[in-house]
Amino acid sequence: MNHYEVLAPELVLLGLAFALVTLELLFPQLRKDLVAYLTAASAIGVLVASAFFANRSDSFKDLIQLDNYTTFFRILFLGTAALLAIASAHLVRDKLSNAGEYYGLLLLGVIGATYMAAASELLTAYIALELLNFTLYVLVSFDRKDPRSGEAGLKYILLSAFASALLLFGISFIFGVTGTTSYAGIRHALEAGIGEYRGTLVVGLVLLLTGLGFKVAAVPFHMWTPDAYEGAPLPVTAYISIVAKAAGFALFLRLFSQAFMPVISDWRWMVALLAALTMVFGNLIALQQVNIKRLLAYSSISQVGYMLIAIAALSHDSATALLLHLGGYAITNLAAFIAIIAFYNATGGEEIRDFRGLAERHAGLAMTLTIALFSLAGMPLFAGFMTKFILFQAAAQHGLLWLSAFGVVTSMISLYYYLMVIRQMYVLKPRDGDGRLRVPLLTSAVLVVLALGIFFVGIWPTPLFRAAASATRLLF
Amino acid sequence: MDGFREGFAWAIFSAPLVSFALILLILRRYPRQAGYVANLAVLIGFVLSIWALSVEISRDGAAMPFHAHQWLHAGPLTIPFGVHLDGFTAVMLVVVTSVSLMVHFYSQAYMDGDEHYVQFFAYLSLFTASMTGLVLADNVLMLYIFWELVGICSYLLIGFWYHRPAAAAAAKKAFIVTRFGDMWFLAAVLLIWTKTGTFNIATIQEAAHAGMISTAVITLFALGVFAGAIGKSAQFPLHVWLPDAMEGPTPVSALIHAATMVAAGVYLVARLFPVFEASQGAMDVVAIVGAATAFIAATIGVVMTDIKRVLAYSTISQLGYMMLSLGVGGYVAAIFHLLNHAFFKALLFLGSGSVSHTSGTFDMRKMGGLRRAMPWTYATFVIGSLSLAGIFPFSGFWSKDEVLLGAWDRGGWVGYLAFSLGMLVVFLTAFYIFRAVFITFHGEYRGGEREAGHGAHGSGTPHESPWIMVGPLVLLAVPSVLSGFANINGGFGTLLNGALPPALREAHLGVNVGLAAFSVVVGLAGVGLAYLTYDLQVVSAEALGRTFRPAYVFLWNKWFMDELYEGILVRRVLYGGVCAGLAWFDRTAVDGAVNGAGATARFAGSMWRRVQNGQIQAYGFVLVGGAVIIAAIALLLNPVR
Repeated sequence: MNHYEVLAPELVLLGLAFALVTLELLFPQLRKDLVAYLTAASAIGVLVASAFFANRSDSFKDLIQLDNYTTFFRILFLGTAALLAIASAHLVRDKLSNAGEYYGLLLLGVIGATYMAAASELLTAYIALELLNFTLYVLVSFDRKDPRSGEAGLKYILLSAFASALLLFGISFIFGVTGTTSYAGIRHALEAGIGEYRGTLVVGLVLLLTGLGFKVAAVPFHMWTPDAYEGAPLPVTAYISIVAKAAGFALFLRLFSQAFMPVISDWRWMVALLAALTMVFGNLIALQQVNIKRLLAYSSISQVGYMLIAIAALSHDSATALLLHLGGYAITNLAAFIAIIAFYNATGGEEIRDFRGLAERHAGLAMTLTIALFSLAGMPLFAGFMTKFILFQAAAQHGLLWLSAFGVVTSMISLYYYLMVIRQMYVLKPRDGDGRLRVPLLTSAVLVVLALGIFFVGIWPTPLFRAAASATRLLF
Repeated sequence: MDGFREGFAWAIFSAPLVSFALILLILRRYPRQAGYVANLAVLIGFVLSIWALSVEISRDGAAMPFHAHQWLHAGPLTIPFGVHLDGFTAVMLVVVTSVSLMVHFYSQAYMDGDEHYVQFFAYLSLFTASMTGLVLADNVLMLYIFWELVGICSYLLIGFWYHRPAAAAAAKKAFIVTRFGDMWFLAAVLLIWTKTGTFNIATIQEAAHAGMISTAVITLFALGVFAGAIGKSAQFPLHVWLPDAMEGPTPVSALIHAATMVAAGVYLVARLFPVFEASQGAMDVVAIVGAATAFIAATIGVVMTDIKRVLAYSTISQLGYMMLSLGVGGYVAAIFHLLNHAFFKALLFLGSGSVSHTSGTFDMRKMGGLRRAMPWTYATFVIGSLSLAGIFPFSGFWSKDEVLLGAWDRGGWVGYLAFSLGMLVVFLTAFYIFRAVFITFHGEYRGGEREAGHGAHGSGTPHESPWIMVGPLVLLAVPSVLSGFANINGGFGTLLNGALPPALREAHLGVNVGLAAFSVVVGLAGVGLAYLTYDLQVVSAEALGRTFRPAYVFLWNKWFMDELYEGILVRRVLYGGVCAGLAWFDRTAVDGAVNGAGATARFAGSMWRRVQNGQIQAYGFVLVGGAVIIAAIALLLNPVR
């Protein structure tokens, strides 16, 4: 038995990705926004199909695991990609060329991201990570007319390659100590004891953490983020901040819970340290930003700090809380980014001061963005409060009360910079000559759904929590 | 039977919530009807609150046997929700819904013609729902959630006229400063759950009272909770937001920033009173912060010229009084004062709104002589002022007296300090509020201001406000005279004590005639001095100001607290120091938005140039540096054997 059906969703996605590229080559006159909707439709199709994998457990040669954890992330990534494809429709049509490639790469990235969540062997995980990285390199520098885009792409390639090298180096250390690269094998070896190689293991762990920390943008490995966020086309920024981040945590969580649980005392404090640094730096530097993309970059860095708390307090509770938080984070960030994309399409502005008077120019857009920002700031009834609270609670439960308190205190700072944006939208009058904005109907509908989703998760998180709990049950 | 009762309790909370939803979803284009619906919802809440109070009176304030429901079951974490109704809750419900009802009624005239009339009533409904939810919540997490919700409502309502920069800035300041307190509250909630495994207030009270939680944990928890209360109840040193919050519409100031939301901090500490009782250190902190707040705010109130700011500092000062009372163990006295204060302060605020409705300003220097034109407003305002000044037999007298008696009986240096500051505050209070009365209502009319802040209400000759505004003033004047008699035989105390574990219940203090007479004399002295200075003008206020110029400047600048926070702490230390330092680090190693924008304009090839100018190397250096440092620490901690 080869269990090829485990790979089916990704193989289909691969086919669809190539089909999209080919479609544009064969019919160059095709309307570009049509390609976007086709992409969204294919992603949603695969999403629905992969929902049938729920509660199935299988594996492909012990390299790729199919379980609820994989399914959870697959659905998260596909949903995000679908919505971002819709949100890209106008921007790509008006500002970028080679639409087919763009959408094909969006889907290819999802394959890499899903396999990062599904991998149960280090080299597979590494290859999946590189697949995602390669699509991102291209996507970040996709806007050929904007030199910032090319610059960001180049920086990202160089640094990412560097981080990948460290990661690979770390993998070789782990392999050297345990003699295997499979998660389960590593765990067995560590449980049996590694004696004098403890120091080697620790160095390997540090290198792994560096590589993964780079991927998820933890301080002090975060420096690529603001540049990449700012330079990339907006939907790609959203893609990095949601898909790439969640994929990084998916790999992180499965690897550390399945392989490195026996030596948790060796790495727990490292992750806790990174979490604390990330929360403080992310929130404080965000205060100084004037560009909305850079603001969201630092905001997402601080969110990484909260997520790292869950890894430091690794347990079934905290892992569930992490998945819940990632779900809420994805919905919130999608709402924020899609609102910003709609704004950018209509005005071309991406500085915070460009948002002045938005409430009068388009009340719905301002409202959605406000809801998303309140959620990011962790106000009750919005998703951000509930998921963060459960996360802090889980960490406090598992002996990291101080780190949770740290999270509570730093998240207070965040309200300040989100209010800066809200102030621009509501308090200030629009500049002379700024008229009402037009937002496409489909985008408006998506935004309404996402805003409702933020409240849904904030008030009634039980369904998402159950899904997260069943996804993480197999890890422990 | 209990099911019905619980249903009624829920209805108090849900009626305004339904009104909020109705207004937002259906009544957006029907302002008049939206106002009616909001009024009706609060009326329902009020009637049910009266019912709750009567039930509780018959039960001597004991808690109703309601059960918590499960909201979310998340691993080991169960988040319950449920309502808790005891004597204390019932009193608070009556306070909240009655003041809210008056304010709703009054606002129909006050906000008439405002372009966001509908939104205003939607926000008021949401606020009323959140505030009753806060009072009814049976666990600290729900309480925290409603706590934040009233904060959001306050933010929305202070910044209601958001095109006025001062209003927008005040809203933001209020939001941020109170959140600074809230975060410690949330941390305390996390702490107590970690240590006891429950959010339920009754269970936490019992555990604390039975000594099942270590004193260190109790003290930390109590201080965290108190930090939240400091923010919300505008206690020193976080009191700076409340005076600015007066930028909101006056009915909002009366409801949120005088009677209810700012009292939520006092409510919270009183609700968790058994926990505070278990930690002497926490109690002392509460008493000292309360006394200091009462004193500082009263001194500032003496020099303010904006009538709403006088009332704002007065509110801060009186809230400090309540905290003082709680800190010296006077649980009943604190809530008694909360109740009386809610009525007379709401009355005073609505009175100030009525005055500005005709004069178009809040600046007392532009008013004067209004007693002839506005007899009703004048009479009710004086009743409120007498009550605030603590003159027998008005309501403020009774509760103020219990507070002072509690401090005196507590003894020790904390008790005597609180008592002496409290006595000073009695004098200051009587002085500043009658200063306001005399400047506003006596003497000659000084013309007002035609450009009214909230619409073109100002007109040449002053006139009495419409009955829909005067009515609430009269209705609020009644409890300002009478509510003080509620505890004359300890009946109110019995009602409140029902909420406490039996061992903690207080005996009724009675009235210490000597003390009462002394405090009334002190109060009358304050009134007298104000009379001499501002009505007869025997004593020249200007001469006083010149003689004590440094003190005057110090008070006029509100003890320089705003300068300390905004100028030094936020701008210099946080922005100029920490953030700029971090951002500099990120910018030198990393480039800033500024460089990127410049390069865009110059030439596309710059990307290679900037890659070669060392930036990427710097990124890589930081990346490796971080890894090396962690590895070094790791190897130092785990030396290779």
